[in-house]
Amino acid sequence: MPPAIHPIDLVDILRRHRLTPAIVFLTSRRGCDEAIDTFIHSSAGVSATHSEKIRTFFEQFAQNFPSIANHPLISVVQDYGVAAHHAGHLPSWKIAIEELMRQGLLDAVFATTTLAAGVDFPARTVVISQSSVRKSQDFMDLTVSEIQQLAGRGGRRGKDFVGFVVVTPSPYIDLHVLGKGLTGQPEPINSQFVVSYPMVLNLLNAHSLDQITGLLGKSFAQFQLNQRAAIHQDRLDEVHEQLTPYGPRECVDWVAQWKVFDLARRRKAHRRPIVNTDSPYLAACLPFLTPGRLIGLAKGPAIILRHYRSKGTGTPMLSVLYAKGTMGECQAQRVVHIYDHVYEFQPIRNIPWCPPSTLHQFKAILSQLPTRLPTVPIFEATHEPEDPLLTEIVTDEFACPTCPSHTACKKDVALVSRLQLKAQQVTKTIKALRDGLWHQFQQKADVLHKFGYLTAHLELTVEGEWARLIRINHSLLITELIRMEAFSGMAPELLAGVMASIAHDDDRPSSYMRLSPGLASMLKQVRHVGESLSAYETAPLLRSDVAALAERWIGNTELSWASLVHSTSMAEGDVYRLLARTLEFLSQIYGLKGTHPGLADTAYRAMISMRREVLAELP
Amino acid sequence: MNDENLKLKLLSLPVKYLHQFAKGRIHRHFRLGKRQLIDCLLALSPDQKKAIVAELQQRAPLSTKPEAESTIAQHHSSFYPQPSSPHPDSPGATSPSINLEDLLEGIGVPEHAPFIPDAWQRHAIEAIAHSDVIVSAPTGSGKTFVATEAIKQAIASNHTVIYTSPLKALSNTKYMEFSQQFGTDQVGILTGDRRDNAQAPLLIMTTEILRNILYDATSGDPDLRLHTLGLVILDESQYLADPERGVVWEETLILCPPDTRLLLLSASIGNPQELAEWLTSIRPSTSCHLIRHTKRSVPLRGIYLHPAGQLVPLFENRDIQQRKGFRFHPETKRLFKEYEFKSLH
Repeated sequence: MPPAIHPIDLVDILRRHRLTPAIVFLTSRRGCDEAIDTFIHSSAGVSATHSEKIRTFFEQFAQNFPSIANHPLISVVQDYGVAAHHAGHLPSWKIAIEELMRQGLLDAVFATTTLAAGVDFPARTVVISQSSVRKSQDFMDLTVSEIQQLAGRGGRRGKDFVGFVVVTPSPYIDLHVLGKGLTGQPEPINSQFVVSYPMVLNLLNAHSLDQITGLLGKSFAQFQLNQRAAIHQDRLDEVHEQLTPYGPRECVDWVAQWKVFDLARRRKAHRRPIVNTDSPYLAACLPFLTPGRLIGLAKGPAIILRHYRSKGTGTPMLSVLYAKGTMGECQAQRVVHIYDHVYEFQPIRNIPWCPPSTLHQFKAILSQLPTRLPTVPIFEATHEPEDPLLTEIVTDEFACPTCPSHTACKKDVALVSRLQLKAQQVTKTIKALRDGLWHQFQQKADVLHKFGYLTAHLELTVEGEWARLIRINHSLLITELIRMEAFSGMAPELLAGVMASIAHDDDRPSSYMRLSPGLASMLKQVRHVGESLSAYETAPLLRSDVAALAERWIGNTELSWASLVHSTSMAEGDVYRLLARTLEFLSQIYGLKGTHPGLADTAYRAMISMRREVLAELP
Repeated sequence: MNDENLKLKLLSLPVKYLHQFAKGRIHRHFRLGKRQLIDCLLALSPDQKKAIVAELQQRAPLSTKPEAESTIAQHHSSFYPQPSSPHPDSPGATSPSINLEDLLEGIGVPEHAPFIPDAWQRHAIEAIAHSDVIVSAPTGSGKTFVATEAIKQAIASNHTVIYTSPLKALSNTKYMEFSQQFGTDQVGILTGDRRDNAQAPLLIMTTEILRNILYDATSGDPDLRLHTLGLVILDESQYLADPERGVVWEETLILCPPDTRLLLLSASIGNPQELAEWLTSIRPSTSCHLIRHTKRSVPLRGIYLHPAGQLVPLFENRDIQQRKGFRFHPETKRLFKEYEFKSLH
């Protein structure tokens, strides 16, 4: 496998052709970090004056953002003029790199593709070496919009005459995807509207049902659904158009009429109906009268060798082996007893119906039979009522055969019934498209009613009044936990721990961390509730390691950020994001101060102790 | 149309279309070559020929114009599907394969010139005064300028402005940027748990926060200075299509007060027209103005960098052009094939 170009060579070439500053997009964080590591001890350094400028910048920057003052990567940035920028870094670090880039002090930034969506920092050159990106477990091709977002960073307005996109191959690159992405039309965007529980509560809080129908109808989702519905409507109109020549004839719904008639005609069509003259008792016996079965006749026991119906009258008949060793035919209705014994054998198509050895065996069996044998109980089937449709049709007189439009009906029925079926299907589709969102809304409302947040008339209950203020993922789980008073009297760090594990939805593995027993039992309880709600809301991952992390940060206000990060294998940026998200969740709980003062107070204390060091730097 | 003309026209068509004309008119037409097919078509009865001419015109409405008959090539290219190739009048097409020197020329820093807004930017700023505006433009083409001017206008007329972005990181950057520009007392930032300077005329927040504010406003506990809310700016509105968070943008747009102007800033997306139609349909008081700018303000060029260190042009054209198809530079193709060959062995 030929390798991709080495980062040092890459930066060297870019520098030589005056293509710096550049953003190099890589797929993974690790790729970015490794690229930076290769520069250490290399000869690709920048001039001393340049290095000095970067140093002064960092010094000034650290006054506002003390968290980066001792960042381990500062020396690399200073010496080599290159930096990494990805979600694993602290926001303050990312801001510093962006600012350095804006001032033109960096030659290259190695960034993950996720950067493209977010922050705005342009460069002269963009380097793309991959055509696919990892999206939830799977590698997917970059979309045209994504590639254009990446490429769009190339060429700074007012600072460059031209911008460049450098494509350099790495394993698994598809050049065509990039070519298409750079020159093509971006994808259209589609609505991702889903009705959520908080949405239902908040809408019902302020609006009547009619108004809500209107509001849902205003969504882009409905707009796009309506467009699709309009296409189906056109198709429906077309079908109706095709159906117009086949309007009412002698009877209004002649297609249905014809179908019934046709059915009846087909059922009547047998020239001689098979009339089953078997008595109910015999009919019930027949399934048991199979080859190998031991039966009792008036003459004594016998074994059935084959069964058949007589050619003339259709009477069920049996070929049997009598106890005295002779073979004979007898009618099935002559059977007196059916014993609960079946002897397996290989039947053959002609006399003696079984292999001679079996015959000998059977003779032996019959000669040694005990006097009393268990019999099979026979249950007579109750008489089934005949098919009402059949009886009615067969007896009724149909107008069709003599109807003047008989020939026309006969000719058109196939086409028209096909068209009618299509019309039905399309109508159904249109209805589904038009009412889809409303159905979603009703489903969610039903669940909320079931849990007691809404009355039967879809008004907010007391519970609903406060529950509507929780507008985050897993809102149902959180409100249910609050209602169970699972959090009452809880320490701030425990609450934060639970919230962190609910908030964190990343399954990137990180190291295990010791959990306090209180938090462990609490998480167990939350997991239990989450599972019981899983029919209505996807259960959160509820990872205990992130819970422990948040607990540790809040529980021990002496703990420094560095030692917190040191105690886990999670990247610094991920820890920051986890805590920031936890803050958001806690602030939602703090919003319940009107109805749950105790809980809100706990949340507030957790928030206060959380906001320190790095977490206090940015609003 | 006389026979001579028809013959010329038929000659200019791909044989595929001739077979379509011949279907049902010429027995076993599929056995014939192009020349034979044309001869047979011309030998048809006048009525049938008239039908063919009609079909031809139906296929290419251009031929009704008199000058089109003489310029068959133009007619041809305007109607039939083109292979993805450089457009005849695109600049690169004149020299089929450019070389590296051409590609790399003109690198440099322009003289510092006073900023002159582009026509589309002026257009957008004029439009926002009286209607909702969607700006769909590539990254780095100056959408922020439009936002800044719109903010100035709104603040001048004593209106509150809300600026939302999808990410907290972006909110922070914008907060610093706007604080420098408008003064710290003019800008406030709202996050889930913090409200800094919430009475300021320009408020920065994430879209989720705005959605929450709008929900609470409808339920009758107005907070902040929503009664003077004049402008809502939604940055990166292509997030509307985000699988998890897109719904928040829709909620925000639906709940936004009808007399508030909306300014949606979005990267290049495929269907901004549809978005504009939607906004017009749900906000009947004003029509939504779509500003679609697809041309980059700084031209972008493609380079292929081979792992061994060669630099070659990526495309046959110098500047990357949107929506005109592409053709890789032969040298790029060769080098890439070599690379792929190596990865297989």
